[in-house]
Amino acid sequence: MAIIDLRNVTYKYPLTQESALKNINFQVNEGEFVAVIGPNGAGKSTLCYTVAGFVPHFFKGELSGTVEVAGADSSKSNLHEWVLNVGLAFQNPFNQISGAKYTVFEEIAFGLENIGVPRDEMIPRVNDAMKLTGISELADRSPYSLSGGQQQRVALTSILVMHPKVLVLDEPTSQMDPIGTREVFGVIRTLAEQGMTVIMAEHKVEWIANFADRVVALHEGQIIEDGKPQEALTSDVLAGKGFGISRYTSVARKAKETGLWKKDKLPVTLEEAVEGFAHV
Amino acid sequence: MNTFSMYVARESGLHKLYPLTKASLTLLLLIAGLTLPVNWAGYFLVLFVIFPLAIWGKVFKNFMRIVWSISLPFIISVIIIQSLFWGKGTPIFEFWILAPKIEGVIFATISVGRIILVMAGFILFAMTTRPDALMISLKQVGVPSSLAYIIVTTLQIVPRFVTKASTILDAQRSRGLETDGNLFVRSRAVVPIILPLVLGSLMEVEERAIAIEARGFNSNREETSLIEIPDTRAQFILRRIFMVLMILSIIARVAWQLST
Repeated sequence: MAIIDLRNVTYKYPLTQESALKNINFQVNEGEFVAVIGPNGAGKSTLCYTVAGFVPHFFKGELSGTVEVAGADSSKSNLHEWVLNVGLAFQNPFNQISGAKYTVFEEIAFGLENIGVPRDEMIPRVNDAMKLTGISELADRSPYSLSGGQQQRVALTSILVMHPKVLVLDEPTSQMDPIGTREVFGVIRTLAEQGMTVIMAEHKVEWIANFADRVVALHEGQIIEDGKPQEALTSDVLAGKGFGISRYTSVARKAKETGLWKKDKLPVTLEEAVEGFAHV
Repeated sequence: MNTFSMYVARESGLHKLYPLTKASLTLLLLIAGLTLPVNWAGYFLVLFVIFPLAIWGKVFKNFMRIVWSISLPFIISVIIIQSLFWGKGTPIFEFWILAPKIEGVIFATISVGRIILVMAGFILFAMTTRPDALMISLKQVGVPSSLAYIIVTTLQIVPRFVTKASTILDAQRSRGLETDGNLFVRSRAVVPIILPLVLGSLMEVEERAIAIEARGFNSNREETSLIEIPDTRAQFILRRIFMVLMILSIIARVAWQLST
């Protein structure tokens, strides 16, 4: 059953001429991990904000079509009710720190305080969430004393602790090193397997290929490709439009021109590339 | 400074006081400093109330450094302006069109005492009160949570601005902006530093609004709190006394004003 259902969604930010999203039809099933890719300005963040309810409730502007998440219609809901179902973490971790809390532990508890979770329930929830994202040892540090990657984990944990049904992430690993990125993708994969629905805007195609269930490609506000990572990420539709393409795909595409790559499908990951070239 | 607040963690009696007790004392000092009809009240309160409190709070050294660095520019500019623009009086010396007056210097010294009192009180409060504890105690007395949030984040704005400004300064220097040299060179460097600082802060506001909204900030459910802050009967009475003193100070001012 589709937990996210966008039908004919067109959206224009206030004071702009061009629509940021054009006639988007987008359904996501419960427990699916969908990666959204696209060049800068393609509408990735806008799509994230739409699912998270901030478009149009926070940004205003003109939205047509219907947005439904977990059976509720966005146009008939309030943002403060919407965020109980849909969690949002975005790129810049620095601005996601509330600024009103002294330690990481309290920072993560901020959301639970706001939605009235009792104290004896709050503490184990915060501990569990920190253990999940591997930041337990940061509990007593000041959130402002952390590195960018650590702050991004805190921002992610602060949303996870609220137990949303749908998790919307806008480039959540942009400031992380490869080890951090792998851990975070691993955590998100696990959560998706436990039934959480995940929408993630991301540039790192090799990670997407390894972890996501599905890839949606946005270009100039429209969905131009939607499918399994392996197929979507190697699709010819994406060529020449500024999409991030895996280096293994590029190599194999060149190799195919000279007849070196024999398979139909192009690889995205190192393993697929090695496997394909092994037959040469 | 990477904790982004003026708070200095210490084990002291002043730190352990209920935040509102310290807040009402700060307010009392502010009102007393501005209204007391005694000329040297500012210096008196700084010396005999704020300094002992800063020593009790084990922050005296840091406290003096911050107070000094913030108030020095005020002191200098107030004294220069007041002494030069004082109308009739006894000139200290005369040079070209400059003739600083003794009366101006005295008046400036009195006003500076009041400025220092207000700033020192505020700084001591910020140094010994955890922002989150203040926010919780404000909410406990019925201040709306959005207002409490604004008050608490404002307290941290100065150190945050300083850190941001120094980042921008480094960035602009590495692009070749000249920031050392005579007054003219320095003043030309102001715009490329202030502009990104102000615009950046405005953009930051939007993202932060999204972030706290995403964490249920505007939820209409009854809020809970992770930490508890102990208040005592004695402090409750103390706060009432502070309030009475504030009113007395204002009355004294009004009475003095009417009698002269």
